[in-house]
Amino acid sequence: MVFLREGLCPGLSEELVHALRTKDIRTVEDLISSDTEEIAQKCCVSYKALVAVRRVLLAQHAAFPVSGADLYDDLLSSTAILSTGNASLDKLLDSGLYTGELTELVGAPGSGKTQVCFGVAANLSCELKQSVLYIDSSGGLSATRLLQMVKAKTSNMEEQMEALQRIQVSQVFDVFSLLECLHSLKGGGFQQASSGGGTPKVIIVDSITAVLSHILGGKQTEGMSLMMQVAGELRTIAKDLNVAVLVTNHVTRDSNGLPKAGLGLSWSHVPRTRILLQRVEKPGCTQSGLRTATLIKSSRQPCYLTQEFDLSSWGEALDELPGSSGKRKLGDDDL
Amino acid sequence: MQRAISSFALAPAVKVKLINAGFHSAADVCDLQPLHLSKEAGISQEEAEEVLQATRCESNQGRAGVSRLTALELLEREQALGSIVTFCSALDSALGGGLPVGKTSEICGVPGVGKTQLCIQLAVDVQIPVCFGGLGGQVVYIDTEGSFLVQRAVDVARAAVEHCSLLAEDAEQQEALKEFTVETILSNLFLFRCHDYVELLAEACLLPNFLAQHPEVRLVVIDSIACPFRRDFEDLSHRTRLLNGLAQQLIQMATQHSVAVVLTNQMTTKIANCQSKLVPALGESWGHAATQRIILHWEGQRRLASLFKSPTHREVTVPYQITGQGFRDVVLSYPWKTRADFAISSGSACKRPRMEGGGRT
Repeated sequence: MVFLREGLCPGLSEELVHALRTKDIRTVEDLISSDTEEIAQKCCVSYKALVAVRRVLLAQHAAFPVSGADLYDDLLSSTAILSTGNASLDKLLDSGLYTGELTELVGAPGSGKTQVCFGVAANLSCELKQSVLYIDSSGGLSATRLLQMVKAKTSNMEEQMEALQRIQVSQVFDVFSLLECLHSLKGGGFQQASSGGGTPKVIIVDSITAVLSHILGGKQTEGMSLMMQVAGELRTIAKDLNVAVLVTNHVTRDSNGLPKAGLGLSWSHVPRTRILLQRVEKPGCTQSGLRTATLIKSSRQPCYLTQEFDLSSWGEALDELPGSSGKRKLGDDDL
Repeated sequence: MQRAISSFALAPAVKVKLINAGFHSAADVCDLQPLHLSKEAGISQEEAEEVLQATRCESNQGRAGVSRLTALELLEREQALGSIVTFCSALDSALGGGLPVGKTSEICGVPGVGKTQLCIQLAVDVQIPVCFGGLGGQVVYIDTEGSFLVQRAVDVARAAVEHCSLLAEDAEQQEALKEFTVETILSNLFLFRCHDYVELLAEACLLPNFLAQHPEVRLVVIDSIACPFRRDFEDLSHRTRLLNGLAQQLIQMATQHSVAVVLTNQMTTKIANCQSKLVPALGESWGHAATQRIILHWEGQRRLASLFKSPTHREVTVPYQITGQGFRDVVLSYPWKTRADFAISSGSACKRPRMEGGGRT
């Protein structure tokens, strides 16, 4: 619904807008959907002028056709497939994260979603030398763990620091700041933001559910609209800026007790690829890094492919902290 | 590319009126005067001013509201924040030096396993002077169950002071010890008693102000989050929404005010495949709320702490014990030794191990 205003297009003068308004033609929609000749008679305005305005408005609001061949050329030249650094996940994703697409990780608490995000960020910044934007909404981002993963890849101190500098972090805790952050990416903010090194190739949102879940449901209708706006922004960013978007989502249980992705049916159309992470439950051995990843939505691979992988393959978990020297500190000694 | 009006943090009714009046993006309203806007959109002048403020701040300063930094800067910040020791070195090393500041942690366990004991221990330990490797901070303790015992806090504080006096070596540490007494420890502890979930939610909204006035606070304890939310609710999805909203508030508070947020949670029984299993209460979606989750449980006579979810550390299980002095390492792995300590401990909050679950979810 776009209102007719002076200056909306050449030829749409203030008098014309006024004349149209008197006959209840307020929006572009009203103008286009009614008969031009009739309007010209009713409002006593020039038929020619109206036709010209109508033509410009139609052109302004219509989409251009693109040929499939051009699209394919575009695809070949601009799409990149970014490896996650984990062979099993790459297999599920058909060799990695595709730019221009939205990939979603779903899983229960402690199923390794955040670890996979860290792994992807570390692999991209360290191995592929690409910038990453990490939008942290759940407070789970730990630079200490990132450093550790980077350390597992290179022992060169300078390279480690450079890799960390290529990871941009945004901490947002409500949906409006998330929208603001995403919007600033579309605008000129992108270049400024990534002054450290190139344009980010991957945007990670961990987790999308944290900012959305409490505004959804009940009698609130606004939550749904905000969710779809987030979805729209993410899609636009993925396409226009040609980046891969990786988001994490929670799981809920269906009536049979089986896990299904959170945020409901409307959100399930948003990601192009969806992977479910689960713990490997083995009797007697509850604590291990073993996880299974199952493909539950994909346009490239058959669904329900399952791969097993070990979270610690991205770099050993922290076993020792740099020992504090000097004075005796509490906690270093046995009490 | 213009930001849509509907994506701003404005009242839904105002947004609907603006959109019906033909204002779709920030640029549409940007150049208008408040009076003009209020007439055009049929909103009050105050509302119009609010709208203009929100949209202009966006277009002028760009990403003013959203902080952005690199992972390297974040690393420096994390290292500067430090962590709170638990006095149980096994648990400390599992957590990488203690409970991290700036993050939220959840402690789950059956009644009597030592959740409140650990909270009291942390409330004392966060105050250990900087020269002893502590944080020298203050603590906010929100008690929803009425289980905070000031007598127990005195015991734990006295033990901590004694321990520090044994460690004191140089003049600086001696000087710091004069300030580190049971009285100062108690006076740096702010206790809030919340009786139901409404009081707790209200407190969560007021806390950021309190933290701004008391910048020394490094720890916020909520003992427990489960108690007020496990009763008075008929609509469970309403409860989940409130809890998720609260979780976001707490994470924001932890990040912005550099405090460690500790929540305790009860356990409940879940029946799946004809087997009953003890799981943390408040449902599965609550499991995402805290950054890390520690589950305290019994194994025979031994108390064990399992790190169940952590973005930073490997999942491990370590033994601990509760003594008269507080939360401690198991010195030797003789079961009778643990048993003896258990018997002579002050016993005020110690209950028998109970393997059956808490009942309601």
